[in-house]
Amino acid sequence: MAALLRSARLLKFSPSGLLQITGTKRNGPPLGRLYSGAVGGRRTGVRSHQICPVSQHASSRLWPYAPGCVRNYVVATEQKDEGNLSVRSKQMQQFDWALTKLDFSVRRTGRVTKTLLLRIFHDVSRTGYPSGNQALLLLRSCGALLPELPLEERTQLAHRVWEKLQELGAQYDVSHYNALLKVYLQNEFKFSPTDFLAKMEAANVQPNRVTYQRLIAAYCYNGDIGGASTILGFMKTKDLPITEAVFSSLVTGHARAGDIESAENILPMMRAAGIEPSPDTYVSLLSAYAEKGDMEHLKQTLEAADSADCSLMDRDVMQVIFTLAKAGHQQHVPEMIERLRHERGYIPDAMNLCLSLITQGQEDTAFTILKTFPMQHSENFNDTAVNMGNFFLRHCISMNTSLEKIAYYCKELQESNLHASPLSFTLFCALEAKKTETSLELMKLLKEQNLPVRSHYFWPLLTQSLKESNTAAVMEVMKGMQELHVSPDVETLSKYILPVFPSIEAARQALKSADISLDSERFLNSEIRSVAANNLAELYTLLSNPSFPSLDLSVFRSSLILGFKKSTDVESMVKVTELLHKDVRFSKESSNPADAASFFLYNLISSMSEEQVQEQEDKLRSFLNQLHAQNVTISVNIFRGIRNLLESYHAPELIKDVFILVDHKDQMSNGSASASGTAHVIGIEGKLVALESKLAELKAENKPLSVILKHLIQTLSAEENLQRALELKQQHEDEMTIGGYATLINLCCRHNNMEEALNLKREMSRKDSSVALDAGKYIALVKILSLNDKVEEAVDILKEMKEKEVVINDTYTTTVFHMLNAVAAKSGVSAVRRLQDTIFTLGLAKPNSNLCSPVVTAYLDSKDMPGALEAALECQKRYNQMPRIHDVIVGLVEKGDTDLLQKAMDFVSQERGEMTMLYDLFFAFLQTGRYREARKIIETPGLRAKPGRLQWYSEKCIFNNQMEALEQMVDITAKLFECDRDEMYTYILRLCKNTNDWQKAEAMWTKMQEENVIPRERTLRLLADILKSNSQEVPFEVPETWYAQAAPTRDERDVEYQPRLITLCKKGKTKEAYGMLKEVDKKGVALSPLSYDHLLRSLLAEGSIEDAMVVKDIAQSRVPGFKLSDSANNLLIITHSKKGQIKDALEMLRSMLQLGHLPTHLAITRLVQALGNHGDVAGIQEVETLIKGLGTNPNLSSMVFINNTALAHIKNGDLESAVELLEGIYTRPDGTGSSMSFVFRKILEADNDKALDKMSAMAERLANHFACYRPVSDLFLQLLDMDKVEDAKFMLARCNAVAEQKEMLLSFVAQKAQSPGQVGKIKNLLSLIPDFTEKEVLYPYIMKCHVMDKDLPSAKALHEQMQKEGIVVDELSLKRLAVLYRKTGEMVPFPEPPESFKFYADKLKERAAKAQATAEE
Amino acid sequence: MAAPTKKVFEVFVSKIPWTAAGKEMREYFGQFGLVKKCLLPFDKETGFHRGFCWVGFSSEEGLNNALQKDPHVLEGVKVQRNRRPLAGPKKDSEYD
Repeated sequence: MAALLRSARLLKFSPSGLLQITGTKRNGPPLGRLYSGAVGGRRTGVRSHQICPVSQHASSRLWPYAPGCVRNYVVATEQKDEGNLSVRSKQMQQFDWALTKLDFSVRRTGRVTKTLLLRIFHDVSRTGYPSGNQALLLLRSCGALLPELPLEERTQLAHRVWEKLQELGAQYDVSHYNALLKVYLQNEFKFSPTDFLAKMEAANVQPNRVTYQRLIAAYCYNGDIGGASTILGFMKTKDLPITEAVFSSLVTGHARAGDIESAENILPMMRAAGIEPSPDTYVSLLSAYAEKGDMEHLKQTLEAADSADCSLMDRDVMQVIFTLAKAGHQQHVPEMIERLRHERGYIPDAMNLCLSLITQGQEDTAFTILKTFPMQHSENFNDTAVNMGNFFLRHCISMNTSLEKIAYYCKELQESNLHASPLSFTLFCALEAKKTETSLELMKLLKEQNLPVRSHYFWPLLTQSLKESNTAAVMEVMKGMQELHVSPDVETLSKYILPVFPSIEAARQALKSADISLDSERFLNSEIRSVAANNLAELYTLLSNPSFPSLDLSVFRSSLILGFKKSTDVESMVKVTELLHKDVRFSKESSNPADAASFFLYNLISSMSEEQVQEQEDKLRSFLNQLHAQNVTISVNIFRGIRNLLESYHAPELIKDVFILVDHKDQMSNGSASASGTAHVIGIEGKLVALESKLAELKAENKPLSVILKHLIQTLSAEENLQRALELKQQHEDEMTIGGYATLINLCCRHNNMEEALNLKREMSRKDSSVALDAGKYIALVKILSLNDKVEEAVDILKEMKEKEVVINDTYTTTVFHMLNAVAAKSGVSAVRRLQDTIFTLGLAKPNSNLCSPVVTAYLDSKDMPGALEAALECQKRYNQMPRIHDVIVGLVEKGDTDLLQKAMDFVSQERGEMTMLYDLFFAFLQTGRYREARKIIETPGLRAKPGRLQWYSEKCIFNNQMEALEQMVDITAKLFECDRDEMYTYILRLCKNTNDWQKAEAMWTKMQEENVIPRERTLRLLADILKSNSQEVPFEVPETWYAQAAPTRDERDVEYQPRLITLCKKGKTKEAYGMLKEVDKKGVALSPLSYDHLLRSLLAEGSIEDAMVVKDIAQSRVPGFKLSDSANNLLIITHSKKGQIKDALEMLRSMLQLGHLPTHLAITRLVQALGNHGDVAGIQEVETLIKGLGTNPNLSSMVFINNTALAHIKNGDLESAVELLEGIYTRPDGTGSSMSFVFRKILEADNDKALDKMSAMAERLANHFACYRPVSDLFLQLLDMDKVEDAKFMLARCNAVAEQKEMLLSFVAQKAQSPGQVGKIKNLLSLIPDFTEKEVLYPYIMKCHVMDKDLPSAKALHEQMQKEGIVVDELSLKRLAVLYRKTGEMVPFPEPPESFKFYADKLKERAAKAQATAEE
Repeated sequence: MAAPTKKVFEVFVSKIPWTAAGKEMREYFGQFGLVKKCLLPFDKETGFHRGFCWVGFSSEEGLNNALQKDPHVLEGVKVQRNRRPLAGPKKDSEYD
């Protein structure tokens, strides 16, 4: 802490120091000193000692090491026989972490666990080359540091280590022998000191003082004073000093020899020799008394020690306690416990004492000690469970302490509130240690205490037996379960019990003979699960047996899915599915088996991954087709679900195979469902056609259309078809819903059609002024207004948002940011500023760094650095945000504007502190490639790592692919205080991964070792990934993750590019997106099929076939098996058709159908039309055959083919054939209703008089001879529509029956009334056929036309006429008229109907429906 | 609905006592709302679960109810819960 505080003081220096000019040459830019490469500046650079002369000492003390180095270690597995030097050094470093860990454990807890020690030992052995130090540390750990291990075991371990390491070539010196001696002493190992010395001599190792001391101790421990004296003699001859340790040993020696008096006399002897007895000496004496149980002398000695001012530590007292207990004088322990002072570090010491006591069978004493532990008061005082003594219970279990005792301890712990659930914890330990018998006994205890015993408690025991395939052990556990009255649940049975048996039958037999009864239902369930997952044929046999009981599919659904995924037995799959589909036994009582079966299909597909579906495509197809053959059906809803899944898996080929399963009744009975159902299959164009026709249908029937209309507008909006959407709106103004308006407004905004957007908004408010758009649409409006220089109007919108309390949530905050940014780019500073200020003042959004930044951006874009800085500073003052300060500073550094830079630095320093300022400067230098200067900054004394800031810059580098800057940053920060090196290298590795640069990654790996960085597992994994994906060997063991399989690896890069690409496509910036793709591709990055597909479609939508083909080629090279999606295919056909490239289009269609894709209506229609235009009769025929061959009729009128074939004939000049064809159609009994308007229109448009003559002759003939009036009416109306009134009149004269085609005429009127400017055509019709329908029906249409044309005088006249003629004017027309009055600014001379258009429209419809109903009755 | 809404309202629970299994989790969290999913991974090696669990509610209400309660005590042990962690830390500022 002190060091840190000092560093903070050191930080106080003026940034201007950085900018000081030492040589004072006024003519060059002063900042030139700051960085190399500046104009005219000398390459001096910043020198930190100039700034801060005190630095040297302090800083060197500040960063000697990076903290927190103890993490998991990873050691390479390959054994390298030849000690490749670099491998060797690598391994050495790896061991070092391991040993650090050991060291850490000792320091923290005073002990080492056996597992840890063994792990390290094995790692060392496996890799070879143990160093002397490693051997030492390992040996030293085999003694008292292992309190959990029995003494003999410890010594055995020490010997193993000794021998193994020697074998591996470790060089032992005297320190190793001494360490071994120490271990012997600690483990009370009996050995011959003379043999030991001989061994040393043989190894040519000279014993030293420590060796002799320890040998004396060994003799003394056995009470062999003679032996000790011999060694003592040695020491004297060698003139070695006799230390206090020797005296202490002698105390023990005499005492053990039974001569307590001599032992006592050692102390005065020491004093005489000028050595003051140490606590160790006293402990030796105390232990001597303790062994005898002589409390009186013990206490006296304690007092003597006290009076000699030799205070005993807790640790010393504990040793006495240990001796007392071991010697069987437990009754005196409490007395000694009172002497414990609970010093610092009491708990680890006491824990070790407990462990040692338990190990040596003194668990009762250990428990007494445990109770002396201070209550651990958790920081959260209401923490429910304070569990003390876990270590105690665990060790009791591993030492096989008797259950009675354990039960007693548990009871005590619980009753004294030291542990909330000691018994279940003990059970946990027993289970963990796989002690079956103990575990079962403990469970009985649990049961006695009315605690639950659950099936999964047995799993740890079962896993072990399962792994060993130990049937007997499984049976034993099961017997235990039976005794405990725990019946294994299905999961236990199927996952942990049955797999150990070779077959279900074997299991049944074995359990039966062992007299283990089982719940037959559960057993059955488990059996079914197991069979379902493994053998579908057997499953079918089982299930189809009529005697099989009823069993809900949910019991074995997931196993069945697993089985289906694994199996190649399609036949059984079909049979099983069929069974599920029909048999009521496998679905819940209330539900229909067919539903359950089809939902199962959905679940099956849903549980498969994209790869699986693609791999198993053929299997699935054959499965689905066979299901169809077995009359298995699914509902439209299920179909939709599966279709969506398949689309998301990029496996649209399978959709039609699923579609054939759709229940046809379902399709028929529900018209709209089927329309939208099929429409989805054949894409959005099909949907449009379906919706349009539905709309026309409803319209013709005068039914409410608002729902369909809204739907249609939304669909058009998704297709970006603004024009048509607006047309629709115009035609059905009164049917428009608020939702429809909102969609339209948004669409207009997207298409930058500000006028229309505003109009629509006004219209919408007129309908309902209280209504508010959602935030996104408002923001879009603000954007479009601002971009069109209507900032004030934009501000008004913002105000309206405030008034209507529209909430801008997080998502929309980002939208606002993008909006502001767009405005910044286009309309400049003042506009952004105005908007930003308004937004903040109104409180629509809280100022954050992002929202503040566009103003600065605007300045930066215009290269106005002073302005940018000023703006940033102002933001700080007003909103406490400093947006884009990095970019501003970078700009200033680049320009070399010292004054402004100084100003910026001062300001940042003042507002955010020097540290922040230094980092800002640091990043600016990095960004501008001035690495020397950057380094100087980091060397500033007292600077510490700011992980957040470093991360920010790293992410920036990764995003912008700036390897150099990033690498420099990592390099420069090597010695930065508290810098997480692993994290820093991970940033580089991430960028390497992005750029797929494995060489760089490998270089980083070496560098990390050089720097002694301990990589985290995720770093290693990242590195391994990079190497692996480049087929490089991974030089270390890759840590595994449990979720490795769960999460399919997705290409990160794609995740990054995809949204950008798709956004560009959606915004219509297709060229930009195309450029981006090409760039990305150059980098060798593969994107997801989805990204390619999106771009392809956008390009096609623009008609850029060539570019689209390039994208297709790229996609095919990047994604094996890439296929165009349905919509792309369709678009391609349409584009080809429009460009008249009929051969290509036809080819496309063929290949599509070959792949089993379904083309859309629109694609087919366009293609057929193109073929017609080119006179390609054969082509049309081919398409017709192809489409009809599909079987599933895609809702296409057969007239498309007929009309176009006729046109093709006409085009070829073969009028006879055309006439023959059409006549053929109309003389067929079912063909009279088909329309051939299209043919007439084309002929009329082409001014092909010859064809027209022929065709009209044909039409008249059909009318006169066959009473088929459709063609002649088509022609008549077409003529009217093209304003050829005279021709129409003649037509009518020749063929009077046209006047009787009331329905056709009326639908013409209705259609015309939907768009403005058409009233003339209706009038023309009326002039020719005045009374074809009632005026009540006709007038409202005309009124609508006038309103549409905004022709108030005509509307007024009509109104008057209606009143005169006594026709009741319906409310809808009145309302329309009223609105027209208001629009033109005139007073409405009659009471305006108060409700909305929709209300009156509905009312009319209702009336019409009623009228119809009564008519039908 | 054939395509069940992919949106699940998940809470991530950790420090789950070993004594509780999926059933107990479902029972406990069932008091806050309909539990649609409960994923408590077990370790095949040890036979114990890994101490954490994803509990998915079918409604946001259930999730909110569960989040409102604190602490959650299961089998006498306090468990930790978090709304499902977001995809990544969102940084919109160069200052942290």
